Amino acid sequence: MDWNVVSANFPLLMRGLGTSLQLAAVVIVLSFPIGCLIAIGRLSRRRWLSAVCAGFVHTLRSNPLVLILFWFYFSVPLIIGRSIDDGASVIVAFVVFFAAYFGEIVRAGVQSVGTRQVQAGLSSGLSYAQTMRYIVLPQAIRSMRPALTTQCIVVFQGTTVAYVIGYHELMHTTSMIAERTVRPVELYSFAAVAYFAVCYAGSLLSRHFEKQA
Amino acid sequence: MTQPIVAIRNVCLDYGGFRALDGVSLDVNVGSRIVICGPSGSGKSTLLRCVNGLEPFQSGEVFVDGVGVRTCKDLPKLRLGVGMVFQHFELYPHLSVLDNVTLAPMKAKGLSRREAEEKARHYLDRVGILDQADKFPARLSGGQQQRAAIARALTLEPKVMMFDEPTSALDPEMIGEVLKVMRDLARDGMTMLVVTHEMGFAREVADEIVFMDKGRIVEHSGVSAFFAAPKTARAREFLDRILLKI
Repeated sequence: MDWNVVSANFPLLMRGLGTSLQLAAVVIVLSFPIGCLIAIGRLSRRRWLSAVCAGFVHTLRSNPLVLILFWFYFSVPLIIGRSIDDGASVIVAFVVFFAAYFGEIVRAGVQSVGTRQVQAGLSSGLSYAQTMRYIVLPQAIRSMRPALTTQCIVVFQGTTVAYVIGYHELMHTTSMIAERTVRPVELYSFAAVAYFAVCYAGSLLSRHFEKQA
Repeated sequence: MTQPIVAIRNVCLDYGGFRALDGVSLDVNVGSRIVICGPSGSGKSTLLRCVNGLEPFQSGEVFVDGVGVRTCKDLPKLRLGVGMVFQHFELYPHLSVLDNVTLAPMKAKGLSRREAEEKARHYLDRVGILDQADKFPARLSGGQQQRAAIARALTLEPKVMMFDEPTSALDPEMIGEVLKVMRDLARDGMTMLVVTHEMGFAREVADEIVFMDKGRIVEHSGVSAFFAAPKTARAREFLDRILLKI
């Protein structure tokens, strides 16, 4: 064992971790609101809208992330006839993929509030939008917090998939250094500790929310 | 004669083949207190939900203060005139009692917070739970929760109050406090449409009784006539069963 390889490459590894965290953050910030829109669409009384949103969710949830990424990376440039930036295809693929999962969490949260609360709001003269805003969403978000936190951890873990197209997140950085130095055990162990630290902090937060609920 | 505050005209409602309401007509005049009773599944609660447009129906029409529910372009405004109290209270659990009561006056009616709170405190006092105003609903007993829900509806100063089995979810010892509030309301001249199985309340407070079965009004009479001698066998049977239980 030679742990010096870790300290020698520490700045590079940290930059990899930083890229992973940044990618996860960007994906979460973009896919959550899209997920909310999809959830509202699925719950809509307009049949065609809810069918389109349900189709979107089922398609994405029935495919592996790596395939979605390949699809955006290889197929979209062929379809639109010009190449797209690696970073852009990663972000678009991840946002589309995780929006489906966030959409399901939000839908379940809104449904957990129940129609009787909606009826109470409507019968007191509030509009549908006001009922959603003041009565349903505050309760839904409170009950969704543990699931949302867990999903954020999943997004962070999912960033490793960007490895397959050579995106410089932590997994890719680690494997590059491991190949160069022929010290895979030390380097992958370090990466495991780094992933564990972030994810475990996340699950502690999730548990905290669960206790509050 | 003045026009009825609520006029239900031949309302029919199908739930995919099941006829929930089958040509129901009923006038609710200002100041009248109508009790609707009948076996479960007879359409009583559904009828109330049709009156404030929560339940879309296929034919017929309901007029609230002359405005047709089906053709109404501004249902929220119409609903401000119709207070509704639910079986399971439906207080908002994430808001204090006071905020429960002031939400609609502020957001739907456009009152300032100060005006809304003033009104809210008045009505919370009237139902006897002003001292609970800052608590969250879960801290209140069932009877207190239902009284808070009544205050919430009253604060909008509706022209008619609808109660959908307001005591059915309550422990027996809490029914009395809710019925007392409703009795006081009736005495003050509130127009009331009450779905309930509390026949004692009906006998004392109502001036008309409507008996429903299978989506139809099978009997509509004055209170004394109804209790003395129900016209239909179905109503007689129902009364026997419900009174024997008590």
